Amino acid sequence: MDFLKPEYYRNRELSWIQFNERVLGEARDKTLLLFERLKFLSITASNLDEFFMIRVASLKDMVNANYMKPDIAGMTPSMQLEEISGKVHELVGVQYSTLIRSLIPALKQNGLIFVREHEELGEEDAAYVDRYFAENVYPVLTPMAVDSSRPFPLVRNKTLNIGALVKRKPEKAVGKAEDSGKEGQKDEVEFATVQVPSVLPRIVELPPKSDGTRQVILLEEIIERNIAKLFLNYDVICAHPYRVMRNADLTIDEDEAADLLKEIQKQLKKRQWGEVIRLEVEDSMDKQLFKILKREFNVKESEIYRINGPLDLTFLMKLYGLEGFEQLKAPKHVPAPVPQMMGEGSIFRKIRGGDILLHHPYQSFDPVVDFVREAAKDPQVLAIKQTLYRVSGNSPIIAALAQAAENGKQVSVLVELKARFDEENNIVWAKMLEKAGCHVIYGLVGLKTHSKITLVVRREEDGIRRYVHLGTGNYNDATAKQYTDCGLLTCSPAMGEDATAVFNMLSGYSEPLTWNKLVLAPIWLRDRFLELIRRERDNARVGKPAKIVAKMNSLCDQEIIAALYEASAAGVEIDLIIRGICCLKVGIPGVSEHIRVRSIVGNFLEHARIFYFLNNGQEELYMGSADWMPRNLDKRVEILFPVEAKGPKEEGKHILEIQLADTLKAHVLQKDGLYEKVDRRGKEPLCAQEYFAGEAWEMADAAQEEETLNDRVFVPEEPVEE
Amino acid sequence: MQILTFAGIDIGSYEVGMKIFELSAKNGMKEITYIRHRIELGKDAYNTGKISAQRMNELCGVLAGFVDIMREYQVDAYRACVTSAIREADNGLLVLENVRVRTGIDVEALSNSEQRFLGYKSIAYQGKQFEEMIRKGTAIFDVGGGSIQLSLFDKDKLVTTQNIRMGILRIRERIAAIEDRPERQAELVEELVDSEIASFRKLYLKDRDIKSVIFVGDYINYIVKTFRKDGSLVVAREELLAQLEAYSRMKPEETARKLGIPADNASLILPSMIIYKRLVEMTNAEVIWAPGRNLSDGLAYDYGERHKLIKTSHNFENDILAAAKNISKRYLSDKAHINQVDGLGLQILDAIRKVSGLGPRDRLLFSIAVQLHQCGKYITVSKAAECNYDIVMATEIIGLSHKERNLVANIVRYTTEEFPTYEKLAATEEIEEDTYLRIMKLTAVFRAANALDRSHRQKIKNMKAVLKDYKLQLNISDNVDLTLEKDALDDKGDFFEYVFGIRPVIRQKKKF
Repeated sequence: MDFLKPEYYRNRELSWIQFNERVLGEARDKTLLLFERLKFLSITASNLDEFFMIRVASLKDMVNANYMKPDIAGMTPSMQLEEISGKVHELVGVQYSTLIRSLIPALKQNGLIFVREHEELGEEDAAYVDRYFAENVYPVLTPMAVDSSRPFPLVRNKTLNIGALVKRKPEKAVGKAEDSGKEGQKDEVEFATVQVPSVLPRIVELPPKSDGTRQVILLEEIIERNIAKLFLNYDVICAHPYRVMRNADLTIDEDEAADLLKEIQKQLKKRQWGEVIRLEVEDSMDKQLFKILKREFNVKESEIYRINGPLDLTFLMKLYGLEGFEQLKAPKHVPAPVPQMMGEGSIFRKIRGGDILLHHPYQSFDPVVDFVREAAKDPQVLAIKQTLYRVSGNSPIIAALAQAAENGKQVSVLVELKARFDEENNIVWAKMLEKAGCHVIYGLVGLKTHSKITLVVRREEDGIRRYVHLGTGNYNDATAKQYTDCGLLTCSPAMGEDATAVFNMLSGYSEPLTWNKLVLAPIWLRDRFLELIRRERDNARVGKPAKIVAKMNSLCDQEIIAALYEASAAGVEIDLIIRGICCLKVGIPGVSEHIRVRSIVGNFLEHARIFYFLNNGQEELYMGSADWMPRNLDKRVEILFPVEAKGPKEEGKHILEIQLADTLKAHVLQKDGLYEKVDRRGKEPLCAQEYFAGEAWEMADAAQEEETLNDRVFVPEEPVEE
Repeated sequence: MQILTFAGIDIGSYEVGMKIFELSAKNGMKEITYIRHRIELGKDAYNTGKISAQRMNELCGVLAGFVDIMREYQVDAYRACVTSAIREADNGLLVLENVRVRTGIDVEALSNSEQRFLGYKSIAYQGKQFEEMIRKGTAIFDVGGGSIQLSLFDKDKLVTTQNIRMGILRIRERIAAIEDRPERQAELVEELVDSEIASFRKLYLKDRDIKSVIFVGDYINYIVKTFRKDGSLVVAREELLAQLEAYSRMKPEETARKLGIPADNASLILPSMIIYKRLVEMTNAEVIWAPGRNLSDGLAYDYGERHKLIKTSHNFENDILAAAKNISKRYLSDKAHINQVDGLGLQILDAIRKVSGLGPRDRLLFSIAVQLHQCGKYITVSKAAECNYDIVMATEIIGLSHKERNLVANIVRYTTEEFPTYEKLAATEEIEEDTYLRIMKLTAVFRAANALDRSHRQKIKNMKAVLKDYKLQLNISDNVDLTLEKDALDDKGDFFEYVFGIRPVIRQKKKF
């Protein structure tokens, strides 16, 4: 049986667009709180921007390079671009109809007027914005006009701009024109452009109306209204906003780069200069102005998006941040404390009490920060080693690492500079850590280090003991509040040895002779996943029960999908919980009839990777940093770790069970390739994310209660440790 | 609980490795980390005779990294050793000096026999399994990059140990120079291996029943691991041979993938597989054991033993002595005379212990010298002393450093020849003053003991040596005629007195 046929696979870009449609679905969901819907709409916009900059850009590169090889679904790059253009145009249409027809009117009903055009302003408000313009905006604007002596200016990637057609005012040219008799010159229309400054807030709140209704207007409208003040010697014929997106795919040939750090810094500057791959314009834009833009940016019709509404919807996230309207926003989520972490005593003693599974953001990320913080201060700690991928600004973890180095600990940190869009941020932290005395490794040549692992080496009474944190998400205390992730704290010697070996490898030493527990990409992980899938297949073939449940962000690896098809064909029951891209198709007779795919899109970004294999009753549960994507399996350092201790393993399985029972936020992939919400008839409504949040607090409260009860008993102080 | 953290660094011909151990009386040796870096020092050394500047710099970089790691674990002590690659390189000393200056690591250049002895100790530390195995005929094959060490055990004792300069890296280099077709390479490796081991086989394996083989070597570990059941690293002969045969036919890259060997080590796989295969086939061993130890374990073991943190039931000094006895047997020495001289000499050594400045190690070296002092006669009686010296210098005696072997060789020589002055001896060989003094002292004891069996008839059965007022009284209660011996001792006693200021005298209490 050939499981590799292109018709068994879905193109990854088209599948991604479907994911963004699901997010857009949240924005359209009238049962959601209004401001939450704004947030989702904003997310669809920023998702789309990233999609263009990375994926579309990459496809363009392929087309430019005449690369014709079809993808796993049999589509060549140009075929893909064509399909993408059509689908994205549709998506954008839905985005704006949602905004214009649904959200803006709803805002108005709730006491917030969104002034779409400056022409709608009343006299007082007009005066207000003009004053705002004069005081705040005008000083930071840099208008640029284009004529034969001035080249077309560089319009920066992703910035919002106002393009205008201007004409020299006649009175100045009068004398000359009459003298020379060149009538044409004074009629010559010039192109001018001004960037909407990103340093100023995009949303400007106007004084409320007398009835208390609040109102906002966008910065570009204020500029447009006052554009004449920028071109004093000219008449402004028309002015319209536009925005360009450039090819920003950052590909570094690492073998060539003598100094990786410098190379990335160089690339960062270059990023602004890529070719334009998307042009967004206001749909009412003047034809002549439009023609100039189209020519100068050298874009094809399919790359142009004519938009009825404000460009760049990411401002909606700022609108969400507007003070007030709390009843229209979901209450702020407060992570629950972790029961095993409660009470007095060092975190190390708590870990010695047994492996601890953390489930963020339902449970607090603090234990992870505390783990590093305490290690930094603990006199018995010899070394701290950590991989950092995306780090938040002012990260407490970075501060703790620097502190540890200053306290004389050996601190090794692998800072991945190749994390998308975060390079500048990471370089700053890396340098700071180096100054503090940490040993900083700036990533590996040719590989992105995506694994999330922390190792603390401690000298204790009976010798060295190693404490390890392994995670599915980044060491980023900010995203840990938004992303659902799992982490494991353990001091199992086997894991500790492996963790040491991981850092030895990352430092350039040879791999260990054997691994106890961990499985690493790019060398061993793919084979291990295939083995695990095939073991289920073999069990099914001999009539034993066989089952796989896998949760991840994306599934697009052909070899893995083929193995899943083969397993399904052998009778393995397969449940996949895949938030984003899924190139696998369900319900193909004889191929994937036993595979079910669901996607959960909710308030939190589903991010954990959990893998369950029935293994003929000897269940195995793994977690890790890798998706089933070629890049994760072949081009990155990733870690898959088993969750073996009874408690954490049950918790892990429970997470999968609840997600499979979700009836509110789950979308189920259909035979026809479309996602549909779960048919709720006869089922209890269940939102997995809400369930976990509630459960985490219940567990914390119960533990707290027990703790308080115990407090009534006098407990003799334990001798001071070591 | 006292725990010492110890790092053993092994600078081999294709890899530099460091194992860090916790040593404690309670838990013995506990490996806490093992760091390896691949660097083919042997490639330079075996091809050009020199370590290139580039590789030397790389080595310094790796060792500097090791220093960081040692600091991280707050290592109490370390020992770093080089093996054949640097030992054989013309600029070996210079490389080690650079390492010392740049990284602060003092590296010892172990003699082959010291190195192998340490490796062997680490296996013996495995305890029971080892003890049981060596009761019957057992071969230890230690396959390194530069050479192979072949050692045989029988009835708990080391029978022989031989070094063949044919390690996996050296073979790869030699073959690569003459043949680049992979399929032909396999044949050539096999021929080369066979020719090298043929004489060993003839000399030592002919009448010996080898029941088991113990392998030491990086690649065999990968293979034996695939057979592992319940942690045992033992595999049956036929199973292993079948696997080795299969692997030596596969592409090295494929073998590497199957066994989980890093791909950059692939080029060493073919020579290893063939060497392992031919070595097993050479014996009729039924079981093969790969305990997975290496020099770093031996270094740690040795350190732990010296610091009384590790004890073992196995007596390693007996192994060294057994090896010496076997050499002596090969040269048809007079066993009865040797035993007599050894017994009497040790009594004298013990009697003068407090004034001689000689310790337990000297006692062992003395016994070895006694065992070997007749080998020269096998070649020619007229120049026996000189030949004896040459034989000792050319013979691998496991457990002895180069310096110690030199010491033994000089003792056996100057027991009969006139003892040279320091200047005279130092002019012909590299010798330190304290070594010279030890040779002199042990020679004096040797001469006296030898005199006591001048007739080679082992007349003295009961002797008590007592030190009294600058006199060493040798009280003998045997009713025998000691005229010859007394005369000889009178003569050799001069040198003894010259060395120790003590005169040995025989006091025979005759019972009539």
